[in-house]
Amino acid sequence: MEPLDQELDQAELEMPAEPMLLNVGPAHPAMHGTVRCVMELSGEVIHHVDVQVGYLHRGFEKMCERGTWTQVFPYVDRCNYVSPMLNNVGFALACEKLLGISVPERCQWYRMALGELARISDHLTCDGAMAMELGAFTPFLWMIKAREMIWDLMEEETGARLTHSFGRVGGMASPPTDGFKEQARAVVKQILSVVAEVEKLLLGNRIFLDRLEGVGVISAEDAISLGWTGPCLRATGVPYDVRKAHPYLKYAEVDFDVPVGSASDCFDRFMVRIEEIKQSARIIEQSLERLADSGPINVDDPRVILPPKDEVYNTIEGTIQHFKIVMEGLKLPAGEVYSYTEGGNGELGFYLVSDGSGTPYRVRIRPPCFLVTAGLERVITGQMMADVVPSFGSLNMIGGECDR
Amino acid sequence: MPTFKLDERDIPFEQGDTVIRAAQRAGVDIPHYCWHPGLSVAANCRMCLVELMPPPGRPALLLDVLAWDKEKQEYVPQKKPKLVPACQQGVSDGMVIKSQSSGHAQQARAAVQELLLLNHPVDCPICDQAGECRLQDYWLEHGATKKRMNDEPIHKPKAVPFGPNIVYDAERCIVCTRCVRVSEELAKDPVLSVRERGNLAEIVVAPGRQLDHAYTLMTEYVCPVGALTAVDFRFKARVWFLRSARTVCTGCATGCNSFTDFDPRNQKAYRYRPRENLAVNKYWMCDDGMLDHRRIHEQRVLAPRVSGEGVDAKIALEKAAAALKQASPESTAVLLSAEHSNEDNFALLELAKSFGFNQLFQSGRPAGQGDDILRHPDKNPNTAGIVRLAKPALLKPFAELASAIDGGTIKTVLALGSSLSVADKTDALKRAQVIALASHEGPLAQHARVLLPASTWAEADGTFVNAKGLAQESEKAIAPQGQSLPAFRWLAELARVAGKPLGWKKLTDLRKSMAQEAPPASLPASTAPAGVS
Repeated sequence: MEPLDQELDQAELEMPAEPMLLNVGPAHPAMHGTVRCVMELSGEVIHHVDVQVGYLHRGFEKMCERGTWTQVFPYVDRCNYVSPMLNNVGFALACEKLLGISVPERCQWYRMALGELARISDHLTCDGAMAMELGAFTPFLWMIKAREMIWDLMEEETGARLTHSFGRVGGMASPPTDGFKEQARAVVKQILSVVAEVEKLLLGNRIFLDRLEGVGVISAEDAISLGWTGPCLRATGVPYDVRKAHPYLKYAEVDFDVPVGSASDCFDRFMVRIEEIKQSARIIEQSLERLADSGPINVDDPRVILPPKDEVYNTIEGTIQHFKIVMEGLKLPAGEVYSYTEGGNGELGFYLVSDGSGTPYRVRIRPPCFLVTAGLERVITGQMMADVVPSFGSLNMIGGECDR
Repeated sequence: MPTFKLDERDIPFEQGDTVIRAAQRAGVDIPHYCWHPGLSVAANCRMCLVELMPPPGRPALLLDVLAWDKEKQEYVPQKKPKLVPACQQGVSDGMVIKSQSSGHAQQARAAVQELLLLNHPVDCPICDQAGECRLQDYWLEHGATKKRMNDEPIHKPKAVPFGPNIVYDAERCIVCTRCVRVSEELAKDPVLSVRERGNLAEIVVAPGRQLDHAYTLMTEYVCPVGALTAVDFRFKARVWFLRSARTVCTGCATGCNSFTDFDPRNQKAYRYRPRENLAVNKYWMCDDGMLDHRRIHEQRVLAPRVSGEGVDAKIALEKAAAALKQASPESTAVLLSAEHSNEDNFALLELAKSFGFNQLFQSGRPAGQGDDILRHPDKNPNTAGIVRLAKPALLKPFAELASAIDGGTIKTVLALGSSLSVADKTDALKRAQVIALASHEGPLAQHARVLLPASTWAEADGTFVNAKGLAQESEKAIAPQGQSLPAFRWLAELARVAGKPLGWKKLTDLRKSMAQEAPPASLPASTAPAGVS
């Protein structure tokens, strides 16, 4: 046994020259969702990182091929569970594109209002979690409190806080409730005041700024070549937003700005999201303004829309309509379609192939998170180990849609 | 070949064709209720109305009608072309016909559909036809309008027993008269007729009669709606849960092509449906055949037995192998079965050959009633097949086997099949050592020293040769029931346990070996394409 009082100059002291392999995840508090990062560290500097996704594989696309088109909605809910309404509407729009129908105006404004609320909920979660992971717990609690208001409103509208399954091909499951406009306006007002308070708390905080500014930088070229979209791409200064570039629903008729960053670091990504919350609030205000109090919410097409229940029970025509849609599924014409919308984290695309039967032949999703996560390696290589936390947080990976 | 134009498409036709027949042959569907390719033309449902364009330079035949003008909110006089039923209209060269592309035809079909549903009860949830009902399909394809009539619908008799197999619901009936024509033209027994007119019309059985000819289930099969339902299938299964296998009916030597509809969840067969094959059964099957699916599940032998006691398959195989090894070829008989497929019988012959057994006999179900429509007096599906397989050896009838056992020359019998063609001589089997592969209870299962449970036709792929000498393949529908296995599998196992393995293990290998050894006509021919009605 070596003596404890061995003199230092007698001992052999050697710093290990080999890089250290550190395995973070797939189940680690710093990893949002189940993703694994195998990091090669030299001291605290990351030399090389291998980002591995796939731990949450649920076979979403394959599952879609055994039900009806309508039965896909609960699955897309669970792709991005922080803003499921955007996924619902995105999928409904894809089916409607293949069918060649468009929903009534009232439904379009309703979908926009709900969708932007979902976007705010998504951004609040991302920015709140980012702040918390850097030690700022109060902004997190406040932002989650604000998100809770949105979820309460969603529950009022759809019956479910998180996984609404509220979209339908050709409309929505039900029309807006009587108090929707009033409540939505009240919620948006409170959220904006929470966001203002959070800005006051964080944007003058030296520690917070030092942890974000100049950290996790990526060039606009790299971001584009990786297929980035959404807030992460806009933080690099590229003003690509599907709502502006390829307007759908009524986005061409509303007034809003696309915030962009300049330094494309974590701070820019944080700020783009804060700014988008304010822009979403503007869109919601305009949508509520133009959302009619009455009128049809669903298209008038017996091939896709279920008849009212009293018709199902009392007339043979209603029974047949119900039977055909429920038992065989609504039939999308044979063909293929790619439809894309602006999801919480970027371009959310659905590529559908129909063989004309009631069951999807193929449902392919282009989730924004998968491509953004692919850039994590480039963002954190060369950074300090501690910078992984804000960098990864600012990309806002959602495991559900990353692994599908 | 002369052609005519249907919706801008050139369709070839043969002399004497109607529009709908030529279109169907070309794969174009014109909606119809009352027309059936195997029956005469009635042209009463008016669903197949098409617009026949006048010859060049001639005016169209126009009718004066009143049409509702939405803007003026009143009826205004209009002209409309006279439409013709596609099922009755003969075609001639260069004729121009509009079906889907004619707005007038579309309108007429929507009106027909609305009329047919006017008094229809809200029965889909309790109707056996739901899921394969023309009323449902055409409602969505043609019109899809909501109900406009607010009056109470006309009520008519429901659940009227027409005979032992058929129950009639007059409220669901659209009086297309397909069932009337089936009875008259196929079964040659005009027992059904239409009573009353308009919305009081209903189908009735002739006074003092029942719907009890040999083809009653064909009336249910051709019924495009849920008016006629089969007692056998009523409330048993919902059709959207069923899957179909392309099989051959094993009820007699005709070998009608059929679909076996089964539920994959509980592996149970629920019904047969005729499968169109113009060379064999056209569009039809007889009642005996249609109800023969019951034998898939009734009276089955589902576990191996030795001397009547249920045993493990391994023990049964060892006992059988030991008995076969001890048996001398002179005193051993091999009983081929006309109930089983060529594959099963070929495996038995191969096994017999490896042991040197060469006394071949045949068994099968006793003969029954036949007619000149479809039913054959020989109630076995594969008599021609085993005769062919055994060549050049001759198959001797069971009666000779019985007397050989009584005479003491035969001591061991290796038997395939369940039934014997003669009922009175089965006692002879008691005096012999019988090793049987049977699917059903019967004299062979009863007297077997060792009994191995064989699968039925529905549980394995197999080839059957019908009375005309046509080899037809029947597909596997359900998984083997209980501990049963296809007979050829048992025989391969038995050969392996006896130390004389046969050259194949899988069905494909067996068929390859059959292709080399058996006459070419024993092999499955390609089956006919799925039928339409």
